[in-house]
Amino acid sequence: MIRFILADLRRLWAGAVVVVLLVALAVALGVTVTLQERALRLGSARAADKFDLVIGAAGSETQLVLSSIFLQPSPLPLMSGEVLAKLSKDKRVTWVAPVGFGDSFAGYPLVGTTRALISSTVSGFSEGRMFDKEGEAVVGAAVKLPVGAEIKPMHGTAQIGGETHAGVVYHVAGRLQPTGTPWDRAILVPIQAVWHVHGLGHKEHDQEESGHTASTPAVVPAPLPAGHYHGDGHDHGPSPLLGNREVHTADNGHGHAHEASGSAPDAAHAAEDHDEHDHHGSIDADAAIDEDFTATAPGLPAVLVKPKTIADAYKLRQEYRSGNTLAVFPGEVLTNLYATMGDAKLVLSAVAAGSQGLVAAALVLVTVTHIGQRRRQIGALRAFGAPRLSVFAIVWLELFLLVAIGIGLGFLIGLVAAQMIAEVFTTQSGIVLPVGFAREDIRSALLLLGASAMLASVPALLAYRQSPAAALRA
Amino acid sequence: MLALVIERLAVSFAGLSSPVLAIDHLTIAAGERIAITGGSGSGKSTFINIATGLEKATSGKVFWNGADIANLSESRRDRWRAEHVGLVMQDFHLFPGLSAVENVLLPARLARVADAALVARAHELLKIVGLSRPEQKIETMSRGEMQRVAIARALLRKPGVLVADEPTASLDADAGENVGRLLIDMADEAGSTLIVVSHDHRLIGRLDRRITLAAGRIAADSAVEGVAA
Ligand SMILES: Nc1ncnc2c1ncn2[C@@H]1O[C@H](COP(=O)(O)OP(=O)(O)OP(=O)(O)O)[C@@H](O)[C@H]1O
Ligand SMILES: [Mg+2]
Repeated sequence: MIRFILADLRRLWAGAVVVVLLVALAVALGVTVTLQERALRLGSARAADKFDLVIGAAGSETQLVLSSIFLQPSPLPLMSGEVLAKLSKDKRVTWVAPVGFGDSFAGYPLVGTTRALISSTVSGFSEGRMFDKEGEAVVGAAVKLPVGAEIKPMHGTAQIGGETHAGVVYHVAGRLQPTGTPWDRAILVPIQAVWHVHGLGHKEHDQEESGHTASTPAVVPAPLPAGHYHGDGHDHGPSPLLGNREVHTADNGHGHAHEASGSAPDAAHAAEDHDEHDHHGSIDADAAIDEDFTATAPGLPAVLVKPKTIADAYKLRQEYRSGNTLAVFPGEVLTNLYATMGDAKLVLSAVAAGSQGLVAAALVLVTVTHIGQRRRQIGALRAFGAPRLSVFAIVWLELFLLVAIGIGLGFLIGLVAAQMIAEVFTTQSGIVLPVGFAREDIRSALLLLGASAMLASVPALLAYRQSPAAALRA
Repeated sequence: MLALVIERLAVSFAGLSSPVLAIDHLTIAAGERIAITGGSGSGKSTFINIATGLEKATSGKVFWNGADIANLSESRRDRWRAEHVGLVMQDFHLFPGLSAVENVLLPARLARVADAALVARAHELLKIVGLSRPEQKIETMSRGEMQRVAIARALLRKPGVLVADEPTASLDADAGENVGRLLIDMADEAGSTLIVVSHDHRLIGRLDRRITLAAGRIAADSAVEGVAA
């Protein structure tokens, strides 16, 4: 029987190949959507689960998480540096770390943060060591820069035409082990350096830079007025720290843009006096790193907090959710995001299911026609003594075999496609997407096989019911 | 060896006023060699289909060795036919992609009765019908060779009756002669009753008895005439 089926398929190999490919592509579409969605969910959840609590200025929760954890360049409102100081002293907090972004180098985002954050979120160094001085940097596993390399940060990103900060150079001190998160693509520098680069005062520098600060529009007054949205409504750079400076260049030094947002107009006017090039401040490469934050710390887009207990986490979130600040559990925000993603997946799945249905309908049409053409052959088989059931089995097996091969191939193509998409995604975002089959995929494979078994029985039943005498006359 | 008795048989199709085939009484003795002739549309193929159980009679009885096949279910008739009837058709109904011997064995294999002995018999039958290459692909054979493969297939399970519907009509004179002689010789050898529908006078002449159909009725029967004469 198998030999007869194979002989038949060999004779009709072109049609058989088309059927297999058609099925494979329709199945692959669905498989890719499922795998990709799951990988995105798992990958982003993994990227977020090192960070228990994120606190930023009041605004969009999603934006806060996307910027601070997924390092998406976009302007965040700033909150008072006081928050950081207060949290540093909080008994319920294991560690708290500020993050500051806005600069980039060679396409990698520069993130200002603390040693505490790095050592408690990354398993260790694959090369070199932690930064010790203001002019040192640590690179993520996916950053293609050797230890000792020079980093000349650029404001914003190259795509939006950022300029290099003159005279600011970091040296790579170490490379971190991979984490599978966007932080693998980040260059981590002391937060204090980021502040200094942008001319923000900090502690001992306060005095020396106080005059400077007053006349520099890039300086974010700390603490900021309540509800101040930096860069809100302005089409400028992605840097939350540098929103003002962008406005300054864009408006050619006229500060009215800021009046609308309630920001200090004086500072904006002062911009006219300010040097027209990009240089706002510089770093003292050999300065020691001070991570003891006081209330005079500059405004911050976000701080990452590691609470001692779960109860503490909930209390802290409650406390910092009112007024000017926003506290979120990244996992919770992601869950909401997934709900949106789920809708998109539903649409894509519907498209995939629709294409599978169309292929199924086309297959029934093709095989029923095919059976019509094979009437004589089927009639002859029975006339010469083949049992009715084996006629059914032949027709059924032949179609089922093709569809089953198509389904198998479709799962393979879907896996490869999802992996390829995940790779591109990983190189772009740093988020490692774990693409793989799960138990529920076995179920859907069985479901598909069951459906194709039913599908194949349509022409088989037709062949079974056909009278051999009538078939031979045809 | 099988004997056929037909009683008050009628075959009608929806939309046709008169029956396509109507036979009051017909007896064919076991081992007899019958020729059936008649004009186109006279009911010859219908007679074959009824006699082999491919089609169900509208009314009447069809006894083979005393058992009425007109009563059997479709599956039972299939099984009965597989065991007792060897069929040869004008169009050979061989399956491309398979070799000569695979074609001979295919129905038996599908019925799961092809044991080593039957495989050996298939090879032997191919030799007897004059084919030396059992592994030759069927689509590469000449029409005469194909019909000989079909004869070998019909005889594989030593059927009690060998039925041929215009076996030589699509062959040239030489090949037809050859096939006709083979049919008679091999039915003799297997001890099968032989029923051949044919217009081929040389073939008809070699058979014992000739039944002529016209408009679905027996117009002439050489056996009856013989008795009457
Ligand atoms: N399924 C059917 N439905 C309607 N009419 C049918 C059917 N099968 C056969 N007939 C009619 O029965 C008659 C006898 O047909 P049959 O095939 O037995 O003729 P035949 O003697 O074999 O002719 P030929 O020599 O051309 O093969 C024809 O008139 C045919 O049209
Ligand atoms: Mg006919």
